[in-house]
Amino acid sequence: MLMPRKVAHRKHHRGRTKGLTKGGANLAFGEYGIQVLEPGWLTARQIEAARIAMTRSIKRGGKVWINVFPDKPVTKKPAETRMGSGKGNPEFWVAVVRPGRIIFELSFPNEEQARIAMNKAIQKLPMKARVISREEQI
Amino acid sequence: MSETVLVATTGRPTGSAASRRLRAEEIIPAVVYGQGMDPITISVARRDLRTALGGSAGMNTVLNLTIDGKMYPSIVKEIQRHPVRRTVSHVDFIQVNLTEEIVVAVPLRLEGEAKAVLANNGLVDPSVDSIELSTTPRNIPDEIVIDITDMTMDSIIRLSDIPLPTGVTAVGDPDTPIVTVLALRAAGGADEGGTSDEAEGAAPAGASSDEVASDEAASDDSAE
Repeated sequence: MLMPRKVAHRKHHRGRTKGLTKGGANLAFGEYGIQVLEPGWLTARQIEAARIAMTRSIKRGGKVWINVFPDKPVTKKPAETRMGSGKGNPEFWVAVVRPGRIIFELSFPNEEQARIAMNKAIQKLPMKARVISREEQI
Repeated sequence: MSETVLVATTGRPTGSAASRRLRAEEIIPAVVYGQGMDPITISVARRDLRTALGGSAGMNTVLNLTIDGKMYPSIVKEIQRHPVRRTVSHVDFIQVNLTEEIVVAVPLRLEGEAKAVLANNGLVDPSVDSIELSTTPRNIPDEIVIDITDMTMDSIIRLSDIPLPTGVTAVGDPDTPIVTVLALRAAGGADEGGTSDEAEGAAPAGASSDEVASDEAASDDSAE
């Protein structure tokens, strides 16, 4: 799974996910992409599950790009622990995404199969998302 | 080359709230600037802009921007879009001299089917989706077509190999690869999950990591 090799700070604040994405809203590499429509946290497991669903679906002949990286540690306190005594331990890593962010890109010769694969990947995500293609819309 | 007339109006109110109100009325705030002129804040109707840029030249259409009865030959420098709705929220036009060479990005289109590549389980991979060309505004091609029929597993189409119309020169290193062929991993090789972990782990935060899908499905325990 994706995770940083080393970090400056082991425990982060939770932060806010207000507003729209600041960048990464356009396809940069592939012909198709998955664009999230709601803000949220994508865990490394969810990213990996979506990637596996997509690559299994297209089987061969495609190229996948992952545009997000889970670089934010999320802490949890152990079960049945009294409050206090400091912040919990880092448990998993997430990528913060805001609406509009393209999280996966795909190059594949067949559009129909590409859309099927990306819709399977969307099923693994914790927020609404859609498939977009390079065709511009004015 | 295509030239289209686009009527713009001046005197629009500036600022984010005023611009938002304009967009609600299907009017797009814009600006036009160029050499030897002061920038002019303008606005164009969304419908007119769609019609003007909907031709074969697309974003490289040379527009005759009519502002208060004066004509400004211009092209689109930048278009800002809403990240979710994908609607145009602002346009930058740049005034051009029709006899001077400018640098524009022209989209690429691959034509044909590389049968030799498909037979060897390869993937034709365009490294870029557009190339920068230096030409006069009237000579801007709508698109650059690259024939990939004769590509083999070890062939690379470089910038210098692309046939360009007369009066058009490519900008950049002639050895830049434009279309390459990716050899997909052979079945029975390294499992997908492990290999992608190596590739993705090496990518810095926020960067894109890419991988070629092989015909072997990822094993769940290797992904853990």
